[in-house]
Amino acid sequence: MGQLVVNGLALGSIYALVALGLLLIFNTVQIVNFAQGQLLMLGAFIGISCAVTHELPVAAAWAITMVAMALVGIVFMVLVYFPLRGRPAFLVILTTIAMGIVLENLALIVWGPLPVSLPSPIHGPPLRFAGVVVSMHQIFIFVTLAVILLLQFFFLTKTRFGILMQATAQDLHTARLVGIPVNRTIAVAFAFGAVLSGIAGLLVAPIFLAEPTMGGSLGLKGFVVSVIGGFGNLPGAVIGGLFLGLIETFGARYISSNFRDAYAFVVMIAVLVAWPRGLFGEKSSEKV
Amino acid sequence: MSYLSLKAMVTGVTAICLAAAVAIEAKADATSCPSPIPFGLTTALTGNLALLGTQARNGAEFAVDEINAGGGISGKKIALTTEDTGASSTDALNAMNRVLEGKPLIIFSSMISPHVFAQTEVVTKSETPFLVGATNAKVTAQGSKWLFRTHVHDGQLADLIPEYLVKTLGKTKPGIMAVADDYGLGASKGIQAALAKLKVSPAAVTSYAPSDKDMSAQLLEIKDKGADSLILFGRPADVTLVIKQMNDLGIKLTTIGNASIVAQTTLNNLSAAEADGGYAIGGMIPQTSTDAKILDWSKRVQEKYKVPADNFTVSYYDTVYLLKSIIEKVGCDKPAIRDALAATKDWNGMLITYQADPQGDLAHTLGIYRNEGKTPKLTGPIRESGY
Repeated sequence: MGQLVVNGLALGSIYALVALGLLLIFNTVQIVNFAQGQLLMLGAFIGISCAVTHELPVAAAWAITMVAMALVGIVFMVLVYFPLRGRPAFLVILTTIAMGIVLENLALIVWGPLPVSLPSPIHGPPLRFAGVVVSMHQIFIFVTLAVILLLQFFFLTKTRFGILMQATAQDLHTARLVGIPVNRTIAVAFAFGAVLSGIAGLLVAPIFLAEPTMGGSLGLKGFVVSVIGGFGNLPGAVIGGLFLGLIETFGARYISSNFRDAYAFVVMIAVLVAWPRGLFGEKSSEKV
Repeated sequence: MSYLSLKAMVTGVTAICLAAAVAIEAKADATSCPSPIPFGLTTALTGNLALLGTQARNGAEFAVDEINAGGGISGKKIALTTEDTGASSTDALNAMNRVLEGKPLIIFSSMISPHVFAQTEVVTKSETPFLVGATNAKVTAQGSKWLFRTHVHDGQLADLIPEYLVKTLGKTKPGIMAVADDYGLGASKGIQAALAKLKVSPAAVTSYAPSDKDMSAQLLEIKDKGADSLILFGRPADVTLVIKQMNDLGIKLTTIGNASIVAQTTLNNLSAAEADGGYAIGGMIPQTSTDAKILDWSKRVQEKYKVPADNFTVSYYDTVYLLKSIIEKVGCDKPAIRDALAATKDWNGMLITYQADPQGDLAHTLGIYRNEGKTPKLTGPIRESGY
């Protein structure tokens, strides 16, 4: 039981990290980026190129990956969001899906189909208590999630730029009229969103291996978590992620492992029926 | 009848027989083949089956390149047209239709059984020899006289794995874990049936979706239910994760499964301690060979494609050479090639000999492997009963 809780929370933390990246972009431009999972995959492979192929220290690989992902986020915005800005939201969403497919195939060409592992930045024997095993990397995942949640919360609510982002999200045109540098604000949102996905990729690759198709399922789970928690709600995304991780793990153990993926969508539908705005309420319900 | 007319008749009949003989000889001569000789291949090069699909492409393409570099078949080069199926059966059918437009002499399809099921009817209608590595036992039971399989199938594995586990390794309470797709679930059912024949009940039967990354719940169920061993059936990427997670959770069970356990792709991502002791039964892999030529071949494939050669690479490579030998004998007449494939007997491939059975299965030899650290060792080849 205790082991299931630990493993469920570790899995849920990954889902929560994907959701946090998704929400950062959503909270600024009100668009769901369905390529978030593929950005995660890209982060994992950039990390592997640095740490495995070029044998750089893992800390340097993390730093390079985060810088690279920030640039990827900005390029993504220029290619996907700007050309379709002001068009119906579904067009942008469809374009993010298409971009996800492009990224997946690009990764297949560049890195090939082989699954590859990334070394964890944390080493050491696992902690064992009462028959429960917690690896150092799992602890690192929990700590990273907590730190990112706090930093993101602080950034959005306590810093000038975060408040500008929220203002842009509420009304882009008015924000521009009052002198907010809207394009720069949006660029920061895309860059940070991609960096968060990259971090999720760096955390996932040591335990789940990296392969070009790894992002599809994780990206979708990130979306489900966002819906469960209430779209746009940061604490909701984290609690939703942990909740989904536990549901999947316990469902696979005590009901049937055949329907593991189905549990996520059954829970999402159940939550939407009972609480149409998610467990913690949506920040915005105009565009999805 | 006068002597003259009898003589004329004998001469005429002789002339006709000679002409017919010459015509048959011409038909059976590979020099009458089109140039280049068109081969078609559909396989998964993108999507989540790309790692498997590229093994088919690598094996076939490597053989074609070697043959062409050596002068082709009777001086005619082979032109291999490859179409990507992605991961979907619909796309596999579309890819096959594109290949058929080129009117190939031979068609290869991948090891993905649902793709082959979707393609069989259209290939059969085209009356083109159809060679596959698809592992679902029922692939060759579709009633197509044009379809042949050159890789061992799940039915053979499903019988042999439980038998080896119970009779040789002495384990009587296995847990079963299989990937939840046509490949894994079909094998899981077969394994359960084979265990029942041995009067053994599995401690737990579990599965995971092909996209799943966390299999700890299934492993804990198998452990909690007191299993003494694990029968594992999956692709290299997910088998790697299962073995890693088993090690992380401190679960120590004798593990046996398909060739993924000893695949180089799997071993590359495991430590020696994690990989050590795993058993596999499956198609023959080149890494365990002691023949310097085979090891050199394996190295050259790895260098060219950056992907280690596996049992499927060997199978598709052999298939191209088998076809070369057939075309050299019977020429480019499709029914003649089909008949020659159906009559294959003791044809020596890289690691095994091929022999056709009435259903169109040509591979009947499997390897039993055990990992010693990260090095797979061939415990011994095992032949299907009757071969």
